Amino acid sequence: MKFYLTMAAAVLLMFCSQAQSMGDKYPFASEADSQLFFELTKELRCPKCQNQNIADSDAMIAVDLKRKVHELILEGYDRQQVIDFMKQRYGDFVYYQPPLNPMTIWLWILPALFVVLTLIGVAVSRKRTAVIIDEAQLKKAQALLESES
Amino acid sequence: MKKITFYIVPLVLFCGLLVFLYRGLFADPTARQSSLLEKPMPEFVLPDLMQPQTLYTQDVFKGKLTLLNVWGVWCVTCAAEIPYLMQLRQEGKHIVGLYYDQDIDPDFGVKTLLRVQQEVREKLAQLGNPYAYNIFDVKRDLSLDLGVTGAPETYLIDQQGFIRLHHIGDVNERVWANKFAPIYEQLVSQQ
Repeated sequence: MKFYLTMAAAVLLMFCSQAQSMGDKYPFASEADSQLFFELTKELRCPKCQNQNIADSDAMIAVDLKRKVHELILEGYDRQQVIDFMKQRYGDFVYYQPPLNPMTIWLWILPALFVVLTLIGVAVSRKRTAVIIDEAQLKKAQALLESES
Repeated sequence: MKKITFYIVPLVLFCGLLVFLYRGLFADPTARQSSLLEKPMPEFVLPDLMQPQTLYTQDVFKGKLTLLNVWGVWCVTCAAEIPYLMQLRQEGKHIVGLYYDQDIDPDFGVKTLLRVQQEVREKLAQLGNPYAYNIFDVKRDLSLDLGVTGAPETYLIDQQGFIRLHHIGDVNERVWANKFAPIYEQLVSQQ
């Protein structure tokens, strides 16, 4: 029990020191700016190590981008302005939310199309296999049942 | 009829998947269109690496077809690339280095300029010097404005100071023949 408590405390402390060190390295005047910085560094993608955001990555370029985001926020850029600044240099690639354009629209259309087509397929196959039982068949079945008993 | 669609539809879907995945095998995930193509060089004021009192601006590229090579002594691929750049220089191409150092944290600055210069001198004495001059990207700001993701990268800048090509990775014979040569020749012929 004591062991687990110590471990839990250690893990908690680890997170504290991390948050602390981020705050120390990139100081802001207001809490809102600090929050914006944390959000942006999570949403901006590292151009070198492609499956990490710049907050997670330690690549030099990610460090440089973090520094730039910090600098831009201090200069009074808002969220969209920072994103545009990065997109101008590194393309749409640098932001995790893809823009809506003729090429990316398929990201939204295809899943919807898939759902609709599947529903149609299910409905059609249901209709096709539905068994129609007429009076004559019913009578025949009834006769069979009776003869059994 | 029903039987045919029963077999054909999955087969077609499967073949489509095969083509898609096969192309994926040879796709380069780092290849993407640079967003700076056909745009002028970003504005900058940066010193020469060897004579820091000399300052360069974006106007230094006007009037001359230039290959701007982003590099550093710490970059292994750059060292492998330099012999080919030497060859390009001997063919009369104008190559400018954009030097940036990895170890310099702009907030602290661990390395002195003298040490950087020393390292560069040693490296170029070893491999040959393909550069007309080196621009020192002190805080890596110009690299950021150029959309550099890492070294080596090479830009082709035309006589008007516009970026015409951005190559990520090293320049070698194959890359030159496929990517650079067509645009380069065209720009030379316009001169």
